[in-house]
Amino acid sequence: MAFLIRTIDLTADGREIIRDRAVEDDTITIGRGADNDIHLPDLAVEQYHARIDQLDFRKLRVEAAGTLGFHLDGRVTKSGQIDPHEGAELGFGSYRLVLSQDGPGPPTITISQAENAAPSSDDLAGFSLAGTLPGKRASAWLALTAILAAFLAVPIYSHLTRPAASTTADAPHSKGAVVMDASWSTGSLSQAHHALEDNCEACHAEPFQSVQDTTCLTCHEDIADHADKPRQLTGRGPMSTGDALQWAVAEQFGKEGPGSCTTCHTEHEGAGRMEPAAQQFCADCHDTMDTRLTDTKLVNAADFGTSHPQLQAAVFTAPGQTRPVRVPLSGKPKEYSGLIFPHDIHLQRSGGVAKMASRLGTKEGYGSSLVCADCHTPTADEVGFLPVNMEEDCESCHSLVYDKVGTTFRTLQHGDVEQMRADLAALDRAPRSSANNGMLRGRQRPGEYSRGGLYYQNFGPPVRSLVAVNRAMAKDGVCGECHIPTTTNGKPDVMPVNLRDHFLINGRFDHEPHKQEKCATCHKADSSKASADLLLPPLATCRTCHMGESDTKADVPSGCAMCHAYHPKGKGDQSEIKAAPLAQGPTGPNLPKRQKQGINQFLAMLGRKSE
Amino acid sequence: MATIPDQPQNQRERRQSSDHESFLSHRNMRWLKVALVLCLVAIVSYFWIDVSPRHNGGSWYGYTLGTIGALLIVWLSLLGIRKRNITAGRWSLKAWTSAHVYLGLALIVIGTLHTGFQLGWNVHTLAYVLMMVVILSGIYGVAVYATLPASLSNNAREMTRSQMVEALAAIDRQLQSAAQPLGREESDLVIAALEQGTFDWGIGSRLSGRYRKCATTRALAYFADDWSRPVGSDDPKDKVRALLGRRKSQLDQIRRHLRIRALLEVWLYIHIPVTIALLAALTAHVISVFYYW
Repeated sequence: MAFLIRTIDLTADGREIIRDRAVEDDTITIGRGADNDIHLPDLAVEQYHARIDQLDFRKLRVEAAGTLGFHLDGRVTKSGQIDPHEGAELGFGSYRLVLSQDGPGPPTITISQAENAAPSSDDLAGFSLAGTLPGKRASAWLALTAILAAFLAVPIYSHLTRPAASTTADAPHSKGAVVMDASWSTGSLSQAHHALEDNCEACHAEPFQSVQDTTCLTCHEDIADHADKPRQLTGRGPMSTGDALQWAVAEQFGKEGPGSCTTCHTEHEGAGRMEPAAQQFCADCHDTMDTRLTDTKLVNAADFGTSHPQLQAAVFTAPGQTRPVRVPLSGKPKEYSGLIFPHDIHLQRSGGVAKMASRLGTKEGYGSSLVCADCHTPTADEVGFLPVNMEEDCESCHSLVYDKVGTTFRTLQHGDVEQMRADLAALDRAPRSSANNGMLRGRQRPGEYSRGGLYYQNFGPPVRSLVAVNRAMAKDGVCGECHIPTTTNGKPDVMPVNLRDHFLINGRFDHEPHKQEKCATCHKADSSKASADLLLPPLATCRTCHMGESDTKADVPSGCAMCHAYHPKGKGDQSEIKAAPLAQGPTGPNLPKRQKQGINQFLAMLGRKSE
Repeated sequence: MATIPDQPQNQRERRQSSDHESFLSHRNMRWLKVALVLCLVAIVSYFWIDVSPRHNGGSWYGYTLGTIGALLIVWLSLLGIRKRNITAGRWSLKAWTSAHVYLGLALIVIGTLHTGFQLGWNVHTLAYVLMMVVILSGIYGVAVYATLPASLSNNAREMTRSQMVEALAAIDRQLQSAAQPLGREESDLVIAALEQGTFDWGIGSRLSGRYRKCATTRALAYFADDWSRPVGSDDPKDKVRALLGRRKSQLDQIRRHLRIRALLEVWLYIHIPVTIALLAALTAHVISVFYYW
């Protein structure tokens, strides 16, 4: 066996000199020593560095002689096996020994000296991600610039250079002039302010200035103060240390103070209703207010369930009253409406009224007996009820028919005493039937039957009409049955009806959310024998469902704002009682529609004349 | 409660002072404790303090959390400056890094409570999202620093990076001469393999370890397909195939190294620029909130 050793040297002018020599041995040695088969004059190489043994035709073993290894295909090792047909590269110091073998020839070892081959740091830089991704610094600058420009510079610049706000009334609802400030919005506006969504500067008028009350009041011009400022301050009492500190800080930053709009009305809390103030907000002043505001008429209140005064209804309690009186709803509260109406008789399941209702039947919209809804009609918004209307709600039973001519009935006009007087005076005096049962002597009550057991009306004439008028006005007469008779200017008359269409002055009650309840749950009408009974429920009834805001066991935990408004309706309108007396008589709310229309027409005519 | 005897305690302390101590367990996890207390105080006060109508960044409590959060963000981002000034002692870089990690994690709680869970398409949420991206990339960074260096040295098998490059160069030199007898088409394949840059690969290949356009693999597939030659023949193609196989395995080692390096480094390419973006968004957030107060 043999090795062919080929040495490649470079001449000074770069020419290669190749020398071949054969070593007839199975083993060759490599080292710095001159007696090695391959002599490598490099100080990095040991005197006797390694040896190559030929194991068989396709297998060479390279082994380090000392402790220093060598490079085999770039890897440092101390021994290795090589198939010279596949080839390998050995490295000793600066020398490279390339092993190869072609066909049946001996293995060839080609020796060359490499230039300093250590890879430069540039070669190693590829291991890092630095060249692969955009530089950290560059992308940081890019992001910094983009964000500051888009979300700061552009909105501020366009805010400072925006055209002056228009003073027309619809200006707040137009689109804002500031660009990119939608990105500043911390959340959707509430339902009420939804139109302002794109117009930030409508409220945020000045840079670095919190939203001012005057800005709110440009639209909410009718909002009045809860009470006079000094009274509010006295009523609230001194602030706690924490609150005082908070406000001291806030005022340093330009907040307007604890009484400002934004203290309670926070915006950008998401679409939907603006949340009302919490119960605690009211209770802070009202729980012990009488100790601070000694002259107040208001009773302390802090929690509907545990600390709330008895409800009071504003009603008329005596004939001829023009201003309502507030009556506590405890005990058996009474009112004076000028009407005679026993609820119990009308609501009985059996008896005359029920019989009559069932006889009139579905044609008039009645069932087997009367129910509340037969006479009481809710308003369109279902908050309350329309005034009871004689023609629609009573007259199908309490007929005002006084005469029959041929097949036509003549009916008195309700609500007009003079007209009635004239109608009755002009009544045909020809006898028609037994005068004993004439209606004008006294209308028959439901349940009192005529011959044959049927309810019927006797249209017999009065003998003398003037007497008939007086009888009609008498206690059991056709008018006096429901109205209290009186005398006006020496003539028989009835007391005007003095009924209010709502009773709570400082609170608000909405029937609509209470629809699931029966009327009788709150209004004890079926046991009321007289119209003087004020059929409004006391506080205790409300409390069967409604308790304070924090009462988790209650069916309906109720904060103050559920019934009470903080702001009076308009400037100076502190209380409805102080306002104009409730209109009664011809323009009052209790008039039938027909008559109201007449008045309107009459007023319209007057208007034309004056022109 | 079991009490630890004094003796082992002292021993442990001595050992700690001499052994390597990770920034994660620095000083008995002092900063972890600080961060936990901070989070606990924030969470308890969030539920204890009643903000009407609901929690948001604009209440006094929100402003307090926001101030703490903003100061923390600024301080945490100062690590980049601090680490360039190497000092020892009380505020050693290790202490600083430990605090950076744990207070950064606490920022998740403080930042989230500051939002009052009211998020939207605005600059405020942008700042929050950027903050979360920075923190999550930081968590990733800590995780890979704890696990990957071991696999990096496993893969290296006592080779330095320059040795890997040199080994590849040695194979390439042999390949160059072994391929001399080949025909045009075959030499083109070898040339393509030799000319393809070892490091000219994008982030996707580096992170996934999948190099679909690798010319060495393609050349190897071409030469390996030819089964007609008897084993052990002296055909130059066999030599080229063997060398290509060695080139491939050397490339694989380098590529494993690249992958681990990429996994180790990539988070910084998010963490650092997004931190700067966060500082910008934070500035815009704070200024805009008070500009439109």
